[in-house]
Amino acid sequence: MTQVQDEWSITAELARLELDENEALILAREAERMRELFLTMSRADVEKLETTAHALEMNNRIRPDSVVSFNNVESLIEASPEQEDNFFLIPNVL
Amino acid sequence: MPQIPTNWSGIFTDSERKQSYLRRVRELDKNIGSFLSFNLDLTGSETTEKGFLGGLPIAVKDNIAVSDQPLTCGSRILENLVSPYTATAVQRLEDAGAVVVGKTNLDEFGMGSSNENSALGTTVNPWDYNRVPGGSSGGSAAAVAAGLVPLALGSDTGGSVRQPANFCGVYGLKPTYGSVSRFGLTAYASSLEVIGTLTRDIDLMETAFEVMSGIDEYDQSSVGSEVSGVPDSDASRVVMLSVDNNMLDNPVARAYKETGEALRAEGYSVSEISLPTLDLVVPAYYTIATAEASANLARFNGIRYGYAPDFSENPSDLMKKARHEGFGREVKLRILLGTYVLRSGFQDQYYGRAQKIRTLIKNELASVFSTADLLLMPVFPTQAFSKGDSEMDDYKQRIADVFTCLANLSGLPALSLPVGVENGLPTGVQFMAPSFGEKRLFKVARNLQDRFPLQIPPNYLDIGGLV
Repeated sequence: MTQVQDEWSITAELARLELDENEALILAREAERMRELFLTMSRADVEKLETTAHALEMNNRIRPDSVVSFNNVESLIEASPEQEDNFFLIPNVL
Repeated sequence: MPQIPTNWSGIFTDSERKQSYLRRVRELDKNIGSFLSFNLDLTGSETTEKGFLGGLPIAVKDNIAVSDQPLTCGSRILENLVSPYTATAVQRLEDAGAVVVGKTNLDEFGMGSSNENSALGTTVNPWDYNRVPGGSSGGSAAAVAAGLVPLALGSDTGGSVRQPANFCGVYGLKPTYGSVSRFGLTAYASSLEVIGTLTRDIDLMETAFEVMSGIDEYDQSSVGSEVSGVPDSDASRVVMLSVDNNMLDNPVARAYKETGEALRAEGYSVSEISLPTLDLVVPAYYTIATAEASANLARFNGIRYGYAPDFSENPSDLMKKARHEGFGREVKLRILLGTYVLRSGFQDQYYGRAQKIRTLIKNELASVFSTADLLLMPVFPTQAFSKGDSEMDDYKQRIADVFTCLANLSGLPALSLPVGVENGLPTGVQFMAPSFGEKRLFKVARNLQDRFPLQIPPNYLDIGGLV
């Protein structure tokens, strides 16, 4: 495995993406091409600029700190792959 | 309030008309594949046709929630998910009398420009079945172009309403960020995306926008009527983006030039400008969009929604397998890229820098709109391209987003409109306006209607008028 592939393999692990061997090769190649495109941003002079995280400049709008119930809880639970009573079911942690 | 088309009335009150409509949609959509699900037997729909949109059949992109209808996002991982609630934008249209008749195909989670990234079906362009409808709201664009519905909703994260509208020859609106609630829109890149509309009728587009827009307690970024739109009465100064000849295919370049000439003939002042930041738009956009995608799509882990593998050793194994088997390649690539640009040690170099470039782009556009009312730009460098076109691979499609994702980075409204047909395919342009300047966009589109009457693909009419 090359250093580049190794870097993308670490990233896949962080993203909880399991990739088979062929898929990992293709995605590393495509991702590397995009990373090179991202690097073209380095020529912009941005030193004195603030970041923009959001299109609109707005303040936080807060609501009262009170419980609001969703009226269709059963269907939320039913939408999960596995459930038991009112809980999502997952494999054993240990 | 503009009038809505009347030839769609009666579909939900006249059973013969309803059956006839259903038959025609099935017959026509067999060739196009715009719908992932279509259902006229909706509870309560027999008695609808109240309200000023009474009985208007609408289609909704399948990444927008409609209660008790599928919400697949074009992905295997959500293939069997049924939504337990309705998006605010859809609810407002339903409250005005519109009826959702189906969910339309899309590139998986809205990631793509051709609809070829859908895991659940193929949609083609009604103008030419060998060509793509565009994306990611390709199903919505195809359905409207073919006249199966008069109005469809899409989502626009980097051009996903305007580009397919352009490929299929219909109007496509990307509203100002915050003007339409995103509650119920499956999140891909939350700071960029907005729910938009596709129609053949500019009056209906304005009506639908007015119905959908406004503050929503479920979306903190929604904006209410306290923010007034910019005036439209004196919107006569248009600046036209100067574009290198080699950036556009000939039919697109010709249509672009003709639109500038038509505007002058209509009395607009038209001057050219260049945007020095244009080269930075695509890298900044994809850095931000993939970063947000990697965070938003973390929720699809095989536990709370949709698909899960038959067996897994532990929760971590469950997540990895569900995502491996449930996501398509483009989605995995964007999650991978987004995770990378947010990694410790790389964040300042990529994500932080992209956010500063976003500031640069916003400042540049603010400067443009200090002396102009509208910005005219191409939508996409080509007309609808062929399915599986090796000349337009995934990377080139991303690069080609340059003209559309500008509006998403800046949050500004933009409207794409068809301006002709060449070689049997639609051509179009887009206008951008300052924040909350949608009225300007509708007005300029109306002013150009006589010069560029909307054309309909051969063999397709408004079904509503046929049955």
